[in-house]
Amino acid sequence: MSGETLSVVIATGHGVVGEVVRRLCAAEHGVEIAAEVGDGTAVLEACRSLRPDVLVLDDRLDDGAPDLGPLRALREEGIAVAVVVLSDRGDGPAVLQALRLGARGFVRKSAGLSGVGSAVRVVADGGRAIEPEFEQAAVMALGALARQAREGSEVQAALTPREQEVLTMVSQGLTMRQVGRRLGISPRTVETHVAKLYRKLGVRSRVQAVARAAQLGLIEP
Amino acid sequence: MTPSSLGEGLPIGERVHNGPVQMGNGGTVGRGQAAATSTDARRRLGVIVVDALPVVRAGLTMLIDDRPDMEVLAETGTADEALEIVSRVRRSRVVVLVGLGLPGEHDAFWLMRSVRERFPAHVILGCGGNADATTVSRALFVGADGFVDKNIDPVEFLQSLRRAADREMVLAGPASASVGAIAEGLERRRDLDVRLTQREREVLSVAAEGLTAREIAGRLGVRERTVTTHLARIYGKLGVGSRLAAIRIAARAGLVSVGVPD
Repeated sequence: MSGETLSVVIATGHGVVGEVVRRLCAAEHGVEIAAEVGDGTAVLEACRSLRPDVLVLDDRLDDGAPDLGPLRALREEGIAVAVVVLSDRGDGPAVLQALRLGARGFVRKSAGLSGVGSAVRVVADGGRAIEPEFEQAAVMALGALARQAREGSEVQAALTPREQEVLTMVSQGLTMRQVGRRLGISPRTVETHVAKLYRKLGVRSRVQAVARAAQLGLIEP
Repeated sequence: MTPSSLGEGLPIGERVHNGPVQMGNGGTVGRGQAAATSTDARRRLGVIVVDALPVVRAGLTMLIDDRPDMEVLAETGTADEALEIVSRVRRSRVVVLVGLGLPGEHDAFWLMRSVRERFPAHVILGCGGNADATTVSRALFVGADGFVDKNIDPVEFLQSLRRAADREMVLAGPASASVGAIAEGLERRRDLDVRLTQREREVLSVAAEGLTAREIAGRLGVRERTVTTHLARIYGKLGVGSRLAAIRIAARAGLVSVGVPD
């Protein structure tokens, strides 16, 4: 890519972050800011129409929770763009989530954003720009995911089709009585199924059961 | 494996050699044997090397035995022998290094799953050459604690063994660049396992070998009609219209391997 101009779209809802990123990118030779956007729809539109080389995406476009929805949307539309994620977080699941959605750069905002300029260049060249400690955190999160997937599969194999049905209904918020009516069995029988379910999931309450089942991928989150 | 090489109640740290490579018996690699009696033997990291290729086993054994803090406890070329060896080793801090592409009915994934289920205290490290993300996610899914590539630097390889022994999740080599894709593979596999019953998964993995419904029935000992019913239900659950499409989903999830695994 050296010699050619890199076009970059900056997406952040925070003026200060945008200002800093713009300055750092401008300091990089041959980097051109194609657009600055502040919400998810605009991110998609800018990438669709401008086809930038790199998208620098703040994972908090508004004041809500960190959200990488724009990356999912880009992916679904098949728009290929190298991505650097800016985040307040640095925990394994957060980094892993960014990597899964195709980001190759991950920069902590609290680290002063100074790495953004070089990260833009590295990801445009097909490389990865992630601090080793964050990468290792993502690998640890991957280990946890593997364990959960394995356990989920094991628990699933242990559940009878009836217990699976009961689990799905319980997770939808149905009472024992309602579950019984739907399945045409007595509430007492439902309770027996639920007790066995709890044991197989290793939990003691309905809330725990639903949380555990969602974690193991047994029900829709 | 020669039966005499494996006495009852294998003493801690005793070296067991299998297959055509008999290193160390003549004193060529004597440090492991001599040190086995010393007091720090228990603290040393013990490695069981499982790989189809004798030269790879020999190379890894030399590399590992050359370090003061680790030693090869045994090496073998088949999954069944490996499990037998693991069941006899009595010590902590053991890493079972499993190379992909083991010959015979029981493959490397079977071995990793078996060790994970029966000896949860041992660390399992998958090992392959330029393995793709699906293969790595499959290894992690069946129970590996990490995956190292054979074409990495030897120093990094040894460091990976130490880190794995310290219960750290390890990805070394090309796999470390595909963390995201590996995670996707794991999730795909779990979703497949959750959606399909065990029997349906069996049918699908046999179907992936290219067998007809009649042949699948013969293999699984059920009627042909039962197999076609299973297949129809699998297609429905996966939302596909053909066997090929179903197999593709299964392959992407690492449920079946299509082609050479290593």
